[in-house]
Amino acid sequence: MVGKNGKHPGVDGSRYAIHPDPNVGQLKGALLKDIARSVYVYRVDCGGCNGCEIEIFASITPLFDVERFGIKVVSSPRHADVLVYTGAMTRSMRIPALRAYHAAPEPKICVAYGACGSSGGIFHDLYCVWGGADKVVPVDVYIPGCPPTPGATIYGFAMALGLLGQKMKAVHHVQQDGEHSQIRYPELPSRLRVEIERESRRMAGYLHGKKIANSFLDLLVAHQADGAGKVEQEIQAYLSQQDDPRLTEIFTSLQQIYQAERK
Amino acid sequence: MLKLIKEVLKVGNATLPYPFAPMEMMPGFRGKPVHDPELCIACAACAIACPPNALSMSTDLDQGCQSWHLFVGRCIYCARCEEVCPTDAITLSPNFELAVMNKDDLREQADYQLAACRECGIFFAPLKEIEYMIALLQQSGVSAENVATARMLFEVCPECKRKNDIPKLASLYQEAV
Repeated sequence: MVGKNGKHPGVDGSRYAIHPDPNVGQLKGALLKDIARSVYVYRVDCGGCNGCEIEIFASITPLFDVERFGIKVVSSPRHADVLVYTGAMTRSMRIPALRAYHAAPEPKICVAYGACGSSGGIFHDLYCVWGGADKVVPVDVYIPGCPPTPGATIYGFAMALGLLGQKMKAVHHVQQDGEHSQIRYPELPSRLRVEIERESRRMAGYLHGKKIANSFLDLLVAHQADGAGKVEQEIQAYLSQQDDPRLTEIFTSLQQIYQAERK
Repeated sequence: MLKLIKEVLKVGNATLPYPFAPMEMMPGFRGKPVHDPELCIACAACAIACPPNALSMSTDLDQGCQSWHLFVGRCIYCARCEEVCPTDAITLSPNFELAVMNKDDLREQADYQLAACRECGIFFAPLKEIEYMIALLQQSGVSAENVATARMLFEVCPECKRKNDIPKLASLYQEAV
């Protein structure tokens, strides 16, 4: 919890220093019992792009409706039980963020919202960015996402309120002896695979080009043993099922490459 | 009033039942990147492509270990890692339930062994990456003899390759003069 110059607005001696109560866990448990079905949320924007704000407001619309859990966005930190920190912690917003923290009555729950709130996100190495909200205030729940969808918001709040459990956990894989990667589509000549991927990416862009090439190659691998006629038939069936003229255009081009390669 | 209630009943309930029922995401939704550590060859293409450095690599030359790190807390779900991955080891899943109490639960790590150079014995490239290149050569119809030669070349570090090239270049130069 140290800023870039080693000094930190939340350190001891500063008027903004945070001195958490030793019984903070117990107090938070009591708070959660008290505020069940009536949770007041205050939103602190520390320097984000407002994508997170849009998603917070999307989650209080009738479609997602967090108000059915009693969650209400209030306009003053003095009314708040939960503080939601959105956006990367910027140098100029660190003091207002701390003031909002001190203005909220104890005990309170802090939520770091979005990729920027959790860790600084894509702005993590900017000269004016301290990092995530946890650089300045103690955070209870991290909700990653860029921005988190309303579903992720509901899940994160349900977790902060102790209604749902955490699903993520740290993973550490160590390479085993004899662990090998596999080549993709070993059944096909590598030149054909490369040509098809190139053409597909040329036509549809990188990510979708890759996906379309993979679906084409999957069809080839599944049916090429039954002859070219069968492949043609299956591709037509797939295209009519997808019903997308753009996909048809790309597949036609890929089929030409496949036919040229077979000759 | 009655008319209004009728209208409301006709329209029905628009609110999604989530979190009491699972939420269907739209096709193409990009959620948590899922890494298959068996398929990964530690080539670092994803770490280079990742705009917010959520993916990073670290190399320990003493232990001969290359580590792949993912910090989901920084991920912006752009799928650039998916588009550059040569082995389809990383794909974006529709999983959006990523909230955590403990920040370290957002971290993923995979450790891979490095190959030591044939000549100087210094670690220089992931073992799995070299094996993958050999497999690619075999699949593209290169003869077994040439594959064996290629393996000799692949298992030498760039520094030693350079050193080996110098006498060869010198002799070529002398022949030319």
